[in-house]
Amino acid sequence: MTEELMLNGCLRNNATSQEALYSHFSPKMLGICYRFAKNREDAEDMLQEGFIKVFTQIHQYRNEGALEGWIRRIVVHTCINILKKNKKFSDSVDITNANSIRIREEMIPSIIQAKQVVECIRSLPLGYKTVLNLYAIEGYSHKEIALMLDIEESTSRSQYTRAKAMLEEILIRKKIIQKPKKKIKFYGAVSPS
Amino acid sequence: MDNDFYTGEFEQLLKEKTDLFRMFPSKRVWHSIYNNLHPSRRWPSVIMSLLLMSSLSFIGYLNTGGNNSNGHTTLAITKNPNAINNQETAENKNIFFSARKTQKQTIVNYNTSFADVITNETDFLTYTIVKNNRPNYIYNTTAVKEFAKLVSNKNTEQNSSKNFEQAVDTYIKSNKNFADIAVTNKRQYAKNKKRRSQIINSNELSTVNIESSLITTTDKIVSTKVENSNFDLNDISKEDKNTIAKIDIIEDKNRLKNEEKVWIENYALQNKLAGKKWKQHLAFQIYVTPAVNYRKLTTESRGSTTAFATADINNVISQKPGFGIEAGASINYAFANRMQLKTGLQLNYTNYNIDADQTNHPIITTILLNDPNTGYSYSAARTSTTSNVFNSGALQPVTLHNRTYQISLPIALAYKLSSENNVDWFVGISAQPTYVFGGNAHLISTDLKSYVSDPSSISTWNLNFGFETYMNFKMRSYNLQVGPQVRYQVYSTYRKYLALIEKPYAVGLKFGLTKGF
Repeated sequence: MTEELMLNGCLRNNATSQEALYSHFSPKMLGICYRFAKNREDAEDMLQEGFIKVFTQIHQYRNEGALEGWIRRIVVHTCINILKKNKKFSDSVDITNANSIRIREEMIPSIIQAKQVVECIRSLPLGYKTVLNLYAIEGYSHKEIALMLDIEESTSRSQYTRAKAMLEEILIRKKIIQKPKKKIKFYGAVSPS
Repeated sequence: MDNDFYTGEFEQLLKEKTDLFRMFPSKRVWHSIYNNLHPSRRWPSVIMSLLLMSSLSFIGYLNTGGNNSNGHTTLAITKNPNAINNQETAENKNIFFSARKTQKQTIVNYNTSFADVITNETDFLTYTIVKNNRPNYIYNTTAVKEFAKLVSNKNTEQNSSKNFEQAVDTYIKSNKNFADIAVTNKRQYAKNKKRRSQIINSNELSTVNIESSLITTTDKIVSTKVENSNFDLNDISKEDKNTIAKIDIIEDKNRLKNEEKVWIENYALQNKLAGKKWKQHLAFQIYVTPAVNYRKLTTESRGSTTAFATADINNVISQKPGFGIEAGASINYAFANRMQLKTGLQLNYTNYNIDADQTNHPIITTILLNDPNTGYSYSAARTSTTSNVFNSGALQPVTLHNRTYQISLPIALAYKLSSENNVDWFVGISAQPTYVFGGNAHLISTDLKSYVSDPSSISTWNLNFGFETYMNFKMRSYNLQVGPQVRYQVYSTYRKYLALIEKPYAVGLKFGLTKGF
């Protein structure tokens, strides 16, 4: 079934088209939810709520841009809304002292490639990983993130900086990336005038 | 993964890698979405509700009684469809097992060591469960074989079986494929450790007949090494440890073929204990409803021309609403995103007040009854000590209480109308089969001048319907419900032979406290 057919069917509230659309996009969207969620079950709850919004608001889709991008934004916003309901989340994004946070080695799984990167992101503290997900992966600006999470823009920036540093450390430790080599500056000989 | 690809474009790297990541949701998600989008197609009928009730009861029975829903032990020992194949494969290749004693002795040792291990080593339990249930292609991975070879070569003299278990444990921890599964099972194990210990200590385990064909290869390694008591974790040389590490790295690269990835991901989800899945949908509720009781009186007489039969019965009695209370406990089952089914036990106290005067001596009077054979009404003689002439001045005023004490079995449906932040708005209906186990009734006499006390006239069985709407406030680990409730009694309080019909109803404010399992 083509995307257009699925879309038209969904606009008519056709269950077959809805299922086709869901089957097509749900694996990727669940991957997104999983990055935000505490565990798989929470991720599935986020996915469920996200797709209900997708189907109930699909008439608002204006064919401007890819359908996947539109669905993705709804799913991300749903994840954020669900996270914001959790009190722990509001505590997490206000953390100012990053030095007090330590990642335990056993928290970092070593399943390879994409999943490994995702799991490393998930091992970050809640506030960090949320900002990192939104900024680095979903492409939201710090201003947008600040609005979404009800925090200051500067907080979003500092959270991201710390999250990035922490994630880099984890990825290096897991040998997924290597430490960047310091650039060697070459100084030319000064010719006598 | 190429280690040399660090380009400085950190965000680009993250985006590329995470965009490749896919997970397949369980069917439950689509079913929930479908039910939410098309509620009319799945709107529960009475039959569906009854079916759910029956299923719930059955599952509740299974989870509490004789079954072993936490039965990792049983699972590990008896449910092993792959074990025979695994064993055959391993034996053919002569890789793992070289028993020095008789098979019988091996089984006995295995049984002893296994019981000890599952009592003390949660990771080993997890490993055993995982191993016994995984498909052959995973079982036959290089890492497992190589590790087994390594272990079987370590035949030094000293050391205890415990060290071997530790070695196995270490290997499990190093094998991150089991990480997700281990976490799930370990948590569950911790909760049910007591229960498991009981099982182990009981005859349940000892009477399990472990067939030699069901002992999987790695289990045999355990039993053999326990038997020989010749393995020590420290005996693994640095070189060997490096070998294990290398194997793991190679395995990491080769392991995650598609079918394996799917299996690993789905295993943790599908092998969660059934009880846990149900627990997510179940909640326990206690509630109390202070209520004001009202009633409506009518008469049903045939062929009678008495004052009782002809007057407006509600106007000739000086009556006042009374204070009642309902309290109970229920199990709530969320069978859809917005729907809950509830059932439990409820105690009701109903009360209605009548103003009267106490007479100085008993008076002979009559009440109107209906003959079930002919259908005609007739007056039956009774004695009375209270007069309907209220506040006459000559007699002592007194308040009569029409009370009932009831126990009921409410079966209720609740529907979530809306949800905002931490507050949900529900509406609900309930049917409450009720057993009346006590109370008192003061019946107006045929001439409307006296009251006759007759507790035996109260009908034993009745049916109530309830309607409620309430706000659900989500707190840390509890949910608080507050909202108005109306409860209406379908049948008359009194037995059919009485010409007087009373239909009480109560309006109250319900306070409930819910906690998940």
